[in-house]
Parts: sequence; structure tokens; C-alpha cells
Amino acid sequence: MRIKPRLGSLHVLFLSFFALFLIQTLPLGSQERFRRSPPLPEPVPELSLPLVETHTLTNGLGIAIVRKQDQPVISMRLIIMAGESVSPDHLPGIATLCARMITKGSMNLRAEEIEEKIESIGGNISVETHPDYTEFIFSFLEEYLEDAMRLLGETLLRPTFPRLEIGNIQRSMFYDLAIQNNNPEFIARRLLYQVLFESHPYRKITFDQGGIKNLSRKDIVSFYSRYYRPNNAKLVLIGNLSLEIASRTASRYLSPWEKREVEPPSVPLLNPRDKMKVCFVDLPHAKDTTIYLGNIIFPITSQDYFPFTVFNQVIGGTPNSRLFMHLRESKAYAYYAFSEMWFFRSCGIFLIRAKVLTEFSYDAIQGILQEINNLRYVPIPSQEIEQAKSYLIGNFPLKMETYDDLSGKLSEIQAFGLGRDHWERYYSNIIHINSGAVSQMGQKYSLHTPVIVIVGNKEIMEYLKEFALVGVYTPDGTLRYEIKKGEK
Amino acid sequence: MYRMMKASLALIFILFLVLSSWAGKQAKELPFPVKQITLKNGLRVILSEDYSMPIVSVAVAYKVGSINEEPGKTGLAHLLQNLMFQGSRNVGQMQHYSFIQKIGGTLNAITTDDKTIFYQTVPSNQLALVLWLESDRMKTLNINPSNVGNIKNQLIEDIQLQTESDPYLINSWEFDRLLFSSFAYSHPVLGTISDISKISTEDVLDFFTTYYSPNNAVLTIVGHIDEHKVIQHVQRYFSTIPMKAAPPPLDLGELPKIESVDLTVENQMASSPGFYLGYQLAPLYTDDHYRLAITEYALLKGRTSRIFKRIFEKDKTAISMSGGIETRNDQSVLKIFVRANNEITNERNQRAVLAEINKFKTDYISDEELYKTKNMFKMNYLRQFATVLDKAIFLTEELLDRGSFNQWMDELNKYLTVSHYDVSRVANIYFKEDKILIKIKTK
Repeated sequence: MRIKPRLGSLHVLFLSFFALFLIQTLPLGSQERFRRSPPLPEPVPELSLPLVETHTLTNGLGIAIVRKQDQPVISMRLIIMAGESVSPDHLPGIATLCARMITKGSMNLRAEEIEEKIESIGGNISVETHPDYTEFIFSFLEEYLEDAMRLLGETLLRPTFPRLEIGNIQRSMFYDLAIQNNNPEFIARRLLYQVLFESHPYRKITFDQGGIKNLSRKDIVSFYSRYYRPNNAKLVLIGNLSLEIASRTASRYLSPWEKREVEPPSVPLLNPRDKMKVCFVDLPHAKDTTIYLGNIIFPITSQDYFPFTVFNQVIGGTPNSRLFMHLRESKAYAYYAFSEMWFFRSCGIFLIRAKVLTEFSYDAIQGILQEINNLRYVPIPSQEIEQAKSYLIGNFPLKMETYDDLSGKLSEIQAFGLGRDHWERYYSNIIHINSGAVSQMGQKYSLHTPVIVIVGNKEIMEYLKEFALVGVYTPDGTLRYEIKKGEK
Repeated sequence: MYRMMKASLALIFILFLVLSSWAGKQAKELPFPVKQITLKNGLRVILSEDYSMPIVSVAVAYKVGSINEEPGKTGLAHLLQNLMFQGSRNVGQMQHYSFIQKIGGTLNAITTDDKTIFYQTVPSNQLALVLWLESDRMKTLNINPSNVGNIKNQLIEDIQLQTESDPYLINSWEFDRLLFSSFAYSHPVLGTISDISKISTEDVLDFFTTYYSPNNAVLTIVGHIDEHKVIQHVQRYFSTIPMKAAPPPLDLGELPKIESVDLTVENQMASSPGFYLGYQLAPLYTDDHYRLAITEYALLKGRTSRIFKRIFEKDKTAISMSGGIETRNDQSVLKIFVRANNEITNERNQRAVLAEINKFKTDYISDEELYKTKNMFKMNYLRQFATVLDKAIFLTEELLDRGSFNQWMDELNKYLTVSHYDVSRVANIYFKEDKILIKIKTK
């Protein structure tokens, strides 16, 4: 009886070496069973987004902070609730020019001194002007919160808009646009927005080179004093700091900022186009064809946001989606084909973008329309829906990782007035979407009557004869003439 | 029953001992927790926990790059990197990519002069999938004439496209050839079209057998992980991949110092004239490297750096500028590339850049400027740890370059304690007449 265990132990030892021997000398062609198929995932981990704390200063400036301790840096965004849509109709571009001038001179600091002060705290400032709002994105080493806030106060509250600097920024905006005017992607997106927005205030985001030089210092000052008000702004901070410290420091440097009533922007709702429109831009040097195709959808606050997100994923979110598989993998028409959603306060845009071989321009567009119609009328296999949801749920935390990612999301919540739970409930809102809800999105929104912008060289015209009417545009978006089917 | 359980535990314990040996210890000097183990087959494994998001990054790096290529076989390391996505015994062609994509993950790979790194970030519940994929291609990559032929064609087309879209690329290769003083360092990672077209399936197989072994690799896992469970997964997928013979030691000999070159070349494709300027510097991790890195920031990093302010804000003579310190294995250089509107401003820019460099030799940098430069440097240094992927790549490179994390202690401080005197000293030592200057004329 006593021997057995010992024998057993020896047996085990022997077996273990035998097992090892077997593993090391598996006959050619055999392998461990676990290598044959991919392992199953573990349960989806919980995602708990950090707590957002808010406070409002007496002058109306809203402050939102998220406390994070893993990086010794602070990411700060100042949001002015005025974007290109509130530029006066005769001055498109003024919101952008005004924003870029804020760091170009103040009562006590010249432009180069401001730059020195930014870099002295390991900092960087960039400016983004959207249709509805403007963001100043400022990151710096955490020990310099006081210096950063002092600098923000100095530049924001006391800008001098020096004429020399205005000229420099105007030239830089002019040349940036001149370079972009050779970029087929830029041209196509701009024309798509121009046609979809028609006379809506959002159209001003597509301002062109011509108008920039007409913008004067007086226009900038007027825009600034009208919209750059604390009660029309929000401040977002991410980093190792408390709401109390953030509010106290902000109050010290931003309290003198004078409150004044700001007229709320008039951004009427936009209806989708109910008739297809085809626009061709002649870009002689283009080797391939760039296609942008899209229509107006709902604003981000709509309940349809989540089912439509799954719809977007199924049709064109990634290289595994239908458009890419059809246009590139199956037919070899395209270099790429993807879909995207863009949101503004009063509407959204759903668009499909593809780069295709010139001779397949017409077939590629038909392929895109076919995929849209399939999603409208043919039930979507539940496996495909589950795959799309799996991508969205898996990818979501990857897009929330950095301080800049988080402050960007927080800024969106502030700018669009989204509920705090908009992103917190992302998982649960996505997980319950079914095939029917996704098909409904295809039927509800006029995706089958889009604006189609085609940018390429004249050879494409040969392949576009099948369309009933094609408008021919210059790269800056001016309509030159129209061609009806059958006309030369 | 108890006896059986005891016996199984013993088996697991013995297997564990046989298959792996712990070399691990907590590297407290790093700004986050790190543990290192080595499997019995030589695979070094780095684990680091980060619970800020439910995601995990996995990097698998092989200590091989363009530096290991022989003359006539350039592009082989990069070719093999691409081949790693062409399928293995249980994973179909390009399936690695689609497996990761479908779960919302991201992935990529990079070949440098001395490393080839494959990396992916996925939701943390999918870690086992990544280990399954990576182990399959480490163990049983499909190397056959058809796969090799496809990748060769693709890479040749890529080089053609890149040279078309970047008219200065050929000049930059010539610049590297002159600046890095031996073939191993100076040839392009992409390889040349004529070399790639001659690479055979046997060449690829030999290269794979020599360098793609667990004992020549590092596996790094950073993120929302349960360390105990991860070690089990790693053992399961990697421990039975056989060890191979150690790669031959790299003998690059004594690196010759460069001869001064001042060359003018014509480039019909270039839209504007420009110039390349380069100096050989002290290697990474030497005392002078820390001093040179701060000097580099003062010279050309950021909008308030000396050269930037001079040619963009004061003189307004440049269209673009890029550059900085580049390290290939144990050779470091400073590279500067400036483009101008015309020949006159191109000449002026050359004089201006040299004048700004020379000022460091004669005048001490001011307290204010040094303070600003160090904060700029510190911010960028900290960005190395901004995401789990950043950390994974940092740890992988650190281990491959230095063999351990022990020397990391107080690394940032070595840069932040550089003095005015240090800047002036290294400028005098390294920014001398033996420089490479290539001037590009457009017509």
C-alpha cells in the first residue's frame, strides 16, 4: 500500500517526461489539438468610463473635468459654442480666422512670446473650427496648470489681433487651400457638403480661397466680441486634478471674462435630398477616380444613432464590410471603399467614399447603390449583425484610451448637449440592436437618392453617359455646365 | 481522488519547471509595473498590467532587420515581415488581419534596421486569440514560391509607387549611404527592386529559420490582464515551439568615420530645391547621447527651436523642414532636410542652418531656452507611455536594445540634467567639418 503512491509518483514523472518527449517529437503533420482552431473569447469585460464632474463659474463658464492619474500631463479643451455656421453670410471663414488669431498676440504678449510660453510648459495648442463650435486643444505637463490657465486667460481675454499676424494667417490659410485644391478627396468632400448643405448656414464650412483676403481686422474683432463669451464657452480638463483645483485656477484667470448675452445660432433642420444628383469634377492630373456619395441623416442626439452605427458598420465601416468586399475583393474595381457618419447640431451626413479605377467608375457607383438597396430590402443575416456589433463593442475602448481621445468625447458631449450617459450606455445600446432595426435605417433615410461626386480626369465622362444628368464642376465647386443622357 | 489530484499538480509543476525558468523580477525603476520571464525555449516574455481600459496590446519582436541582410539581398527582412500575414498552418492568407479586425482590434508591423515588430491591440477578453495567431506563424509560417512571389511583386510595386509619390526618396537613400558608413547600416530597409526580384524562396526560408525563433524573440503583453492566467496562455501557445540555433553574431567591424562630402545633384522630379545635412553622433545610451538629444531639441524640435524660428519666422525662406537624431543599431546621426522656393533661398537656408548650429559652439544656451527645451523633451518622452501599445513597444525595444530593464533607472533625469556647458561641448565635438551635405537642384 505504501509502495503504490511512490510507484504512482514515479509513473507520473515518467509520464511527464514521456509527454514532453511526445510533444518534442510529434510526427510531421501532427500538432496539438488547441492549435487547430481559434480560442473562444472570454466574457466581454466591463467598461466603466471615468466620472465627469462639472461646475459653472459666476460668469457662466462651464467646467467639466475627468480625473485620471496614469499620465503626468493635462489635456485641456476650451470650446466656444460658435463655429463656421455663425460667420456672417458675406464673410465665410471668419470663425476660422478669428480662432487662429487668438494665440497671435495679446495685450501683454507678442505672438512669438506666446509660443515660447506654450513650449516652456511642454505644451502644444491647436485649433479646430467645426460648423457648430470651435475648440482650442491644449496639452501640457501637469505641474504647469497655473501657467497654462494664466496663458489661456491672457490670450483669450485680451487678444490684440495684430495686422501683421492677420496677414500671415490669411496667407497660410490661402496656401493651405491652394494645396488642397489638388487633392481629389478634399475636392470631393467639399463639393458633397456644398450640394447637401445648399443655402444652409453649414455650407460656410466649405469657404474657398477667394474670400479669405477680404476678411478684415474689424470683422475679426466684431466676431470675437459677439461670440467669445464665458457663457458661450465650456472648459474641459483631463488629468490628475480635482474639480476644486481646476475651478479655482480657472476662476483666477478667467473670471474677468465678461458675460454678455449671445444670440443662439439659427441652424434650421435639413432635409435629405429625395432625388439623386451626379456631379463631376474635372481634375486633369488625376489618375484614378475618387467617389464621394452621401445624403443628410439625423443629428447625433437622435435615437437612431445606435442602429445607424451598426448599419454603417455593416455597409462600410471596415475592410470586412460589404462595400470593401464587393468593390475591392470581389470585383477589383476599387483601391478602397468605406462609409462614414459625420454629425452636426441639426443634422448628420452619411457618406461613402471610394477610390476606383477610371474604367470602372460607373460600375463602382452602381455597386455602391446596389449595396445600399440590398440593405434596404434584403434581410441582413444575424451573423453579420453580430459581427458588426462585436467590432463596435471591441473597438470602442480603443478609441477612449488617450487623454486627447477622452477630452474629445467630453467636448462632443458639451457641444452637442448629449446626455452624460450617451457614451456610458454605448455597449448596452449597441448590444440590443437586431437585424430588423438595421434594415429599418436603410429604409428610413434617403440613402438611395444621394448626391454623387466624382473627381477624376475627363476620360471618366465616357463611363458616366448612363446617368440621366451630370453636372460638370471646377475643382473649387463652380458649376460649369450640365450634360443630359444622349448629349455629347 | 486526492492522490490523483496531487499527482496532476505534480505533473503541472514539473512541466512548468522543465519548460520555463523564471528570470523575473519587478523592475521598480520603470514608471509602471513590469515582470519578465523566459520560457525554456528562450522566448523572453514581458508582462505589464494597466487597468485603465479593458484592452490589451501584444507585441512580438524578432531581433532581425535590414542590418542582417547581405549585399545583393536587401529587402529580405521587410519581405519576411510582409510574408508573416500570408498564412500559417492553421491561419489562412490575410486571416490574421481579419481575425483582429472583426473583434475591433488594430494591428500593424514594422521592420527597422535591427528589429521586426508585430503588434496588435484588442479587447482584453480576446488575448488568447492573439497569442494563438502569433504562435501559429512563429511555429508554422507558410513559405512557398507562390506566397514569396506575390509579396515580391507587391513590394516592388510599393517601391515604385513610393519613389513616384516622393521625388526626394532617392536622394534620401543616397544621403543615408554617405552618412552611415557601412553597407549594413546604410542600405534602405525597403531594399532595392533589383535585389528583391532576385530573392528566392530558399533565401526567405533560410532567413526565417535563422532569425524567427523563440530564442531570438520577445513577447510583450501590456494591458488589462490577469498575470497568472496570461502566463498559462503563453505557456500553452509558445512553450512547445522549438528553440533554434542562435543566430550568427553580427560582426560589423569598426565603423569608419565619414569623410566630409559636399555634393550637388540634379533631380528632375523634385518640385523645389533643397538640401540634406548630416553629422555622425555618439551612440545611444552614452553620456554624450543625452547631451546631443537636448541639443537636437533646442536646434530643431518645436516652433520655437532655433532653426524653425530662423528659416520660417525670421528669414521666411523655407517651405518645409524635417529631421532629428536617427539611430541604427549602435550608430547615431543627425539628419536635417530643408526645402526652399528657389536656388537663392536654398543657399540662404544652408548658411542659416550652419550658422544656427555654430552658435551652440560659441555661445552658451540661456537658462530660459534650456528650461523650455527640457520641458519639450520631457513631454515627448512621456508620450512613449501614453497608450498600452506605446508601453508595449517601449518595453520590447528596451529589452532588445539593452538586454534588461536594469539600466533604465532614472533615464529621464539623464536628459534633464544636461547643462549649458554640455550643449556647447557636444556641439563642438560632433558638429564639425566632417559632415554630409547634399544639395538638390531641380533643373
